[in-house]
Amino acid sequence: MELKIRKNGDNYIIDVNGEMDLYNSYKLKELVMKMLDKKVGRFVVNLQNVDYIDSSGIGALIYICSTIKKMGLKLVITNIHGSVKKVIELTKLMGYFPIAPTIDEALQRMEA
Amino acid sequence: MGDGAHAKEIKVDENSPLFDRTGMLHKEFPSDFRQIRYFTLLIVQSAPPDIKEINLLEQQISEVIKNAVKHGNGCDPEKRIRVWYSFSPEHAHLVVEDEGPGFKDIEKWNEFNRRRQKCLEGEDFAALAEYVSFRGERADDNDGGNALFAALEYWNGGFVFNQKRNCVAMLKRFPKKRRGLAASGGE
Repeated sequence: MELKIRKNGDNYIIDVNGEMDLYNSYKLKELVMKMLDKKVGRFVVNLQNVDYIDSSGIGALIYICSTIKKMGLKLVITNIHGSVKKVIELTKLMGYFPIAPTIDEALQRMEA
Repeated sequence: MGDGAHAKEIKVDENSPLFDRTGMLHKEFPSDFRQIRYFTLLIVQSAPPDIKEINLLEQQISEVIKNAVKHGNGCDPEKRIRVWYSFSPEHAHLVVEDEGPGFKDIEKWNEFNRRRQKCLEGEDFAALAEYVSFRGERADDNDGGNALFAALEYWNGGFVFNQKRNCVAMLKRFPKKRRGLAASGGE
C-alpha cells in the first residue's frame, strides 16, 4: 500500500493506492497521526485505487474517523467502490463513516 | 428505536451439520502470520472462477484464518491450523480449526453485537461509536475488531463454533445463476 498526500486549499487529500490489509493498514493510521501532530485539520481519504480491504483496513478507517471526530476536525472518505464498499456494507458502517462519492463532493462537504 | 433483538448471533453447536467434513478438501498450515493471505490463496484457488465476488470470498476466508493463527494459536509456530473446504458456483463451505484454548468471549461478543444492532436500528451513530470495534482479550492495535460483524452477514448459511470453540464452520450460499437463452437478434 502506498500513501500520497496532496494539498487542495486547506484540505489534505490522502490517496491510498493498493490493498488495505492486515500487513499495512497501520501505515494510514500512522500517517494521519503525524499529520494531526502537524496541526492538519481537514482530511480527504481517497480510496479510488483500493480494491481490497479487510477488517484491519476497516479498523484503520474507524480509528482515524473516531480520532478526527473527537478532535472536532474534518474528514471525508471518498471513492469507495467494489468489494471495499461491500465490506463496509457488511460491517454496516456506511452510515458511520463520513462518505462522499467523489473528491469534488468531498471538498464541497468540507466547506459545509 | 429497535432493541437489538434482531441481531445475528455467533452460535455454539457441536452437532451442527456444518461440521460434517465429508468430501471436503483439507489443508494444514503453520501459525505463520506473514503467510495468512498466501494460505488463503491456496484455498481460494480451488473455487470456481465464476463464483460471485470471489475477492470478497477471499477476504472473508482470510479473516477466519487470521483469527485462527493470531487469536486462536497466538502465532505459536508449534501450533497448526487445519482447514477443510469445498466450493461450487452455488456454495462455499469451510471448517477452520486451531489448537488454541477456544474463543471464550462469544457471549460477550453477542451482547456487544446486540447493543451495536440497537444503535444501528435507531441510526444513533454517536452511540454506535462505542460499538464499532470489539476488543477481545488477545486483541491489539492492528486488529480491526469488526471482522465477525461482517462474517455473520456474509456467511448466510451459518457461522458456528464447536463446544471447545476452537473450530468454526461456515457456509455461504451464492444465488443461482439464471440460465436463459440470450436474445439472438437474428444472428
